Amino acid sequence: MLEHVGPQLFNGLVLGAFYAIVAIGLSLIMNLTGTINMAHGSFMTLAGYLAFSMIARGTNFWFAFLVAPLLAVLVAIIVERTLIRPLYGRDPVYSLLLTFGLSLIAEELFHVVWGANTLPFAPPAALGGTLALGFMNFPVYRLFIVIVLVFAFGLLGLFLYRTRFGLRLRAAVQDSEMIAALGTNTQLLYTINFGLGILLAGIAGVLAVGLLGLNPTTGNTLLMPAFVTVIIGGMGSLYGSLVAGVLIGVATSLMTLYVPAASEVVIYILMAVVLTIRPRGLFGEEGLFG
Amino acid sequence: MNRRLARVTPGRIVALAALVLLALEPTLAPYIHVDVTIVSAALLFTIAALSANLLLGYTGLPPFGNAAFFGLGAYGCALSIKYLNVHFFTATIFGMLAALLGALIVAPFLVRRRGIYFGLLSIAFGQVFYFIAYRFTDVTGGEDGMAVTRPYLAVSTFTLKETAFYYLSLVVFILSILAFKAIVQSPFGRTLVAIRQNEVRVRYLGLDSNRFVFVAILISALFAGLSGALSALLNGFIAPLQLDWHQSGDFVLATILGGSGTVWGPLIGSIIFVIGRDIISTITPYWQIFIGALFVACVLGFPRGILGTILARFGAAPLSNEPEEANWTQSPAIAVDHHG
Amino acid sequence: MGDKFLLEAQDVSKYFGGVHACEGVSLGVREGSIHAVIGPNGAGKTTFFNALSGFYYPDHGRVFFGGEEITRMPNWRRIERGMSRTFQTPSIFPELTVYDNVMLGVRSKAGIAFHARTPSGEQQAAHERRIDELLGFVNLVRFKERPVAELSHGSQRLCEIAMSLSTEPRLVLLDEPMAGLAESETERIISVIRGLHDRLGLTVLFVEHNMRVVLGLADRITVLDRGRILAEGTPSEIAANEAVRDAYLGKEVLEHV
Repeated sequence: MLEHVGPQLFNGLVLGAFYAIVAIGLSLIMNLTGTINMAHGSFMTLAGYLAFSMIARGTNFWFAFLVAPLLAVLVAIIVERTLIRPLYGRDPVYSLLLTFGLSLIAEELFHVVWGANTLPFAPPAALGGTLALGFMNFPVYRLFIVIVLVFAFGLLGLFLYRTRFGLRLRAAVQDSEMIAALGTNTQLLYTINFGLGILLAGIAGVLAVGLLGLNPTTGNTLLMPAFVTVIIGGMGSLYGSLVAGVLIGVATSLMTLYVPAASEVVIYILMAVVLTIRPRGLFGEEGLFG
Repeated sequence: MNRRLARVTPGRIVALAALVLLALEPTLAPYIHVDVTIVSAALLFTIAALSANLLLGYTGLPPFGNAAFFGLGAYGCALSIKYLNVHFFTATIFGMLAALLGALIVAPFLVRRRGIYFGLLSIAFGQVFYFIAYRFTDVTGGEDGMAVTRPYLAVSTFTLKETAFYYLSLVVFILSILAFKAIVQSPFGRTLVAIRQNEVRVRYLGLDSNRFVFVAILISALFAGLSGALSALLNGFIAPLQLDWHQSGDFVLATILGGSGTVWGPLIGSIIFVIGRDIISTITPYWQIFIGALFVACVLGFPRGILGTILARFGAAPLSNEPEEANWTQSPAIAVDHHG
Repeated sequence: MGDKFLLEAQDVSKYFGGVHACEGVSLGVREGSIHAVIGPNGAGKTTFFNALSGFYYPDHGRVFFGGEEITRMPNWRRIERGMSRTFQTPSIFPELTVYDNVMLGVRSKAGIAFHARTPSGEQQAAHERRIDELLGFVNLVRFKERPVAELSHGSQRLCEIAMSLSTEPRLVLLDEPMAGLAESETERIISVIRGLHDRLGLTVLFVEHNMRVVLGLADRITVLDRGRILAEGTPSEIAANEAVRDAYLGKEVLEHV
């Protein structure tokens, strides 16, 4: 059994990285405007489909990989400005319902445009096969995923903690009113923040479809675990989402090895355990969202 | 306080008219092309919508885990028939007890949360039950669901079976709405309304708001469980998908569409939703787009819901000397920011 | 020391992310007195109040009420013990009438707020009398049936005071009762506060930064500055205090003292 642990741990890391990046995107959006984005998975799927269509028309994978998430961000910005902005300041129930409605529409639209069947989405040949490193063989595509996501986390961290704009974003999370009083265009900030969250989702989406397959509900399968990741990591803490994501990913993977039937519920069990011991999550801030 | 019972308000007239219409539905069915089964479904759906309404419209909490209680009611009922061979009503009670048990497990985690946290946690816990129903294939039939044989109802012949069930649903619905009305007009219910508006002040009046929330969750689960049990009996079938949080979203939508924070709003919303969904799905396979669009339109344009908008337009009369008359004149629940 | 004071704070400190909002504040409120806590903006007065009333718990120090330690007692229980408070922005039920606003406290005190049964005709009548009594004290009876959202800011504040009386407290904490009020409304609040003490025999602890009002109303004054106690004493002692004058330097009010 033990020779399986290594690969499963690695798979857990990959899965965890996905959970983390989706959770961080959700968290960014939630922390700043209190918007619960139930359509986050839909944006992931959208990026995947756009990449697929681009490749089908002859562009290469790398181009599609860069452009598809950006196109998803474009759609996101339109959605944010028209549909989500009116809900700022209202009870989070409304944003939850609205984005849920959007996810229903999106799923059906994907069905209409691309069909209900799972589409073949193979990563390029360059990323195929395995790489032997030391005692284990690592699938190259998964290695690629880990590298890209780690890179993304790093860039995000740099952006948030080393740039002026990132500073404004963090300040706005603490106190939107104050920042507005100091002259910042908060509406623009909200839009960019939303776009940033969706950018992360888009990147995750394009990467995920190579692993999970591409159908109207691919993104949604990552959504619930991502929410649980946010809860376990603690509301308001991006670092918490990162740690919790990896934790959940590894736990799920190991559980698939030892007790397969429980692998889907293990994240909820973890959630219940963490919440009992530490109600605000691992790194959550006290009093945020109750 | 006898004058309370004798008062004839516009609201009561409309409610009575609605009930008369519902009572006559089996005879009207061939003319309006809406058969009894779908109206039964709508009435039972209303009971589940009421469960969401209690938490959302009255207490101010987003109840996205109620499908789990609905499902527990359904499976509790079905399993008790399958393994214990019980009578119709006993099976329903079993269903409600299963839902109550689920609530007792989940409520301690939920009770101290508010806002988004409450919403997300309720979804998460709902999903646990969903997965359990999905995975325990031996017991629940897994993904394919489970057939439910409807126990013989004492007073019906074979040909009237659907109609008899319809009247049963109608009676249960009337009892449910009377119970709901009694709850929200009671001191307990009035405190829930206060919690929605200003929880801090409720605590500074010497009341432990968490205690109230706990009980509200239990009551909500009972209503949802009742709805689930009878729905299982109506359809003769249950599947894990009915526990999925998308179903919870449907209950919440029906509530908001009809008017959250009112007693009769969920009925209006449920009828529109259930019958509307049925009609649209016969027209196009892409009916989900319309449901989604309904969510969006309702949230953006119609947050008070139908009944809520009507009440607001006719000037929600200030509450009378008798707070017990609140349900018709109470201003509809527009969620406001809660204090800590 | 514990039984002389109705409310006593010992060395109470509260920090927010490394910044001390109040530090080492000790204070004793004698039963039957009107005690004021004053200080410039940011002095930590509301933070201190919040720690006293259980809005949050202090990071350091202890709080006693009627001799009983209440440092970490849930806020709703403190109300049962006989404390009550108002907030800087009137904390009321915005969608209800004045009548219903006061009703909840009355029901809470009567122990029926959790009940499913509606109160009997007799009970209801007794409650209505009590509501009239409370509203009469703040002179809002004529607004009984009005939605509280329609009332002026000052009247909302009076409604809140009536609500805080509905639980029959021994001690009333008032957080900046004069905040946002016009001059005419201020006089009315002052007379109500005095009434709490003179007519109802209650102990009052209030936060304020209008020095003139405080000097006229309070028996005893504690001055906070930047989270710490600057001075404590009778109004004349405080008015003569150099350090207090310095802290309030530039405040027009002080010149009239």
